[in-house]
Amino acid sequence: MADTAVSSDRVEGVTGVLNKGTVQTVSAFDPEWLRTLRHHAWDVYEKTPMPTTKLEEWRYTDLNRKLDLEALSWPEKSECKDDFEACPKGLQETMLADHDASGHLWGIDGQVIHVDLLEELQEKGVVLMSLREAVRAHPELLKEHLAQEALPPEQGKFEALNAALWTDGILLHVPRGVRLDLPVRITRWIAQSGAAFFNRTLIVAEPGSQVSYVDEVISDDLDAHTLVSSAVEVIAKQGAQVQYVSLQRLGREAFYQASQRTLAQRDSTLDTLNVSMGATTTRVDLNARLLGPGANSDMLGLYFGDSDQHFDHNTSQDHVAANTSSDLLYKGALDDESRSVFRGVIRVHRGAQKTDAYQTNRNLLLSDHARADSLPNLEIEADDVRCSHGATVGQLDAESRFYLMSRGLTREQAERLVVMGFLGEVLSRLPLGGVVEKVTNVIEEKLRQV
Amino acid sequence: MPQNEVVKDLGLDEYKYHFVDEEKHVFRTQPGLSEEVVRQISAQKEEPEWMLELRLKALEIYFSKPMPRWGGDLSGLEDVLKEIYFYVRPQDRMEHSWEDVPENIKDTFERLGIPEAEQKILAGVGAQYESEMVYHSLKAEWEEKGVIFDSIEEGLKNHPELFREHFGTVIPAHDNKFAAMNSAVWSGGSFVYIPKGVELETPLQAYFRVNQEKMGQFERTLIIADEGSHAHYIEGCTAPVYSTESFHSGVIEIIVKPSARFRYTTIQNWSNNMYNLVTQRAMVHRNAHMEWLDGNLGSKLTMKYPSCFLMEEGAHGEILSIAYAGNGQHQDTGGKVVHAAPRTTSSIVSKSISRGTGRSSYRGLAKVYEGASHAKSNVECDALLINDTSRTDTYPYIEIEERDANVGHEATVSKVGEEQLFYLMSRGMSEEEAMALIVRGFIEPIAKELPLEYAVELNRLIELEMEGSVG
Repeated sequence: MADTAVSSDRVEGVTGVLNKGTVQTVSAFDPEWLRTLRHHAWDVYEKTPMPTTKLEEWRYTDLNRKLDLEALSWPEKSECKDDFEACPKGLQETMLADHDASGHLWGIDGQVIHVDLLEELQEKGVVLMSLREAVRAHPELLKEHLAQEALPPEQGKFEALNAALWTDGILLHVPRGVRLDLPVRITRWIAQSGAAFFNRTLIVAEPGSQVSYVDEVISDDLDAHTLVSSAVEVIAKQGAQVQYVSLQRLGREAFYQASQRTLAQRDSTLDTLNVSMGATTTRVDLNARLLGPGANSDMLGLYFGDSDQHFDHNTSQDHVAANTSSDLLYKGALDDESRSVFRGVIRVHRGAQKTDAYQTNRNLLLSDHARADSLPNLEIEADDVRCSHGATVGQLDAESRFYLMSRGLTREQAERLVVMGFLGEVLSRLPLGGVVEKVTNVIEEKLRQV
Repeated sequence: MPQNEVVKDLGLDEYKYHFVDEEKHVFRTQPGLSEEVVRQISAQKEEPEWMLELRLKALEIYFSKPMPRWGGDLSGLEDVLKEIYFYVRPQDRMEHSWEDVPENIKDTFERLGIPEAEQKILAGVGAQYESEMVYHSLKAEWEEKGVIFDSIEEGLKNHPELFREHFGTVIPAHDNKFAAMNSAVWSGGSFVYIPKGVELETPLQAYFRVNQEKMGQFERTLIIADEGSHAHYIEGCTAPVYSTESFHSGVIEIIVKPSARFRYTTIQNWSNNMYNLVTQRAMVHRNAHMEWLDGNLGSKLTMKYPSCFLMEEGAHGEILSIAYAGNGQHQDTGGKVVHAAPRTTSSIVSKSISRGTGRSSYRGLAKVYEGASHAKSNVECDALLINDTSRTDTYPYIEIEERDANVGHEATVSKVGEEQLFYLMSRGMSEEEAMALIVRGFIEPIAKELPLEYAVELNRLIELEMEGSVG
């Protein structure tokens, strides 16, 4: 692919692999509308400067040091077929834990290799499919929503890059009034080191529908710098209830970049949970937009860092309509030389009266060299509102630990228990089957290394 | 509430000090900023060579730094700066007794509502008229104690070693663009030294005002509170209203040596066309206490974040900040605390009120460096919104590199509660009176820390500002 490269060193972020030639190759078999969209996105990408630490949103994450686009290759076509036995062991393990589900979708190295969905749901018109396939099967839906209102390329450098170069992704469409009792489970496995992966997710929940969606992105430790880019658009129409969960368990050397935007329309509930455990660098941009009266979003986040991991969660709660509410809770523990950045903003737009918006970020430092930066912001342009935010950074509560040790626990056991209790608060607010166990296991594994 | 009647007569709602004296300046530079202007200022002040060099270096830094893009809207400032006279001196000599003070300045004080008798009681009043201290007296007992309370120019002349040792050490010119500007063209301000162990009961006070159209004011204050000393410095200012923009950029440096306690109180009520960009910082040493009490009521845009750098073990910093943003005003204020040593503690309490199209933003930093174990910091911000066109923002930065630290931040935004209003009105108050009472209650935690005359003035101002805010 590199041989079709249009050489242009002057444009930031254009490399031998990430260039117009690749856009052409990726869109070779696309319908006209999509090819136009990709090329437009690429133009926006070229025109948008690479974010620097001079921007408030990137103040604590220096891309010059964290991301090396030049080093990235284009992924090889995966050999994996839809065959459980042939799948990597790590993927098999996580898939086995996901038996209670309305449907599954598995992807390897950015390609969807397997989709299944309960027959009764198929009959009701629920669509779960690879985005590539959806381009042919549901063009109208995609034309209306893909990289449009939620994550247009103009949103930013990475949003434009993803919209231009995505290779595959997921479409979930839940028709009016259809309720899914069990979550839809997505497992995306990254096997190749050193490549750049671009995936998209589009979830459209029609009025009165209900769905829980769990996306797990996972890999072993990688040998070389790898970019995993994920663009997620979630639309909850009137009265719909949507839970979106992202579990990130990538291995070392991964740079995980996720752009998520949720659009909550009248009387809908659109909750999110971001669990960041893996990758060397994690950057999540989550923008929740409350667009209709009665809309509500609970936004939960959990991170646990060790070694030199770097987490940057950048959230925003946009209250556009009156009578909306949002409640954010992000908690993290940081060990070794790991570092976390939380930047969150509540924006109450003019006229969004009767807004209730809350935002809390709590950090636990477990080591002398860990660091936590917290920037909870408020921008309020309506007067009849209830808004508050809080942020804390502190160490392990010595009294709790002492109490537990006085009951016979060792120091290590007591510390683990206190950390579990600290982080467990987040999980208890979104008790989704399978998720709690999985996350608890990962945290426990991390704690064993402490 | 009978006192309201009296207050209304003052006409604070419009602008209390809307009066202009005839200009009587002796020397002033060309408008705009250049090396020539800086050389002229330094020559006029008969400064030593090192100060001229410092000014020129600062000027270079000023030109090399871009205009800040954060905080308030500074887009109109470049044009303002081209028109500003960077130095105006009204008189050639310092006044030492009240009788010698020119009539027109006394007149100004009268209109500011400060009785002559009160000024004498509040001894050590340094009045800054235009760019320089023109009036300065110091109570005899303080002289005995060895307290220095001079204009900054006198400080440089009379105490060259002490001055040079500390000047620019807390806020170097490269700290930010406006600190660089101030370092290049500073003129006026105070030089204060409190000797070891000296405790001052009465506060040191300086009143000053900007009087001339298109004139920038670049006050520079350097305060050294030596070991175990205890003092309180108060600065308040007011400026007449003009149609064109005005500009004020001060730098306040304070060094609080071991076990000293120092409080700096400032209330600004600049007229609503003023850009007020101030850098205030204190270096706080072992077991010393520093308190900033910062009130921002006036100006078009204020960007001011008093800071405490806690440099040695046991240092304590406190920042109390109150902001009022009325129509067309933007108060971008807050505070910074930097913990650079173990067992340092700090707190920031910020209260803001936004009314009409006013916008108040809290911007603050709580930073704990690695090694500053057992550091504790607490930040509380409360914002009150009066109208649906008002705006408030909160931008705290919390940067923690030390495990063994406890840092918390909390902020709330609320509206004056209908229930509270209803209750007070059921007890016979008008809606305006009730609103004023609630707002007064809201700022009470800070107002009670103010010296009486400031607290009274603040309360009156709030009452007047609340007029016409309802219905």
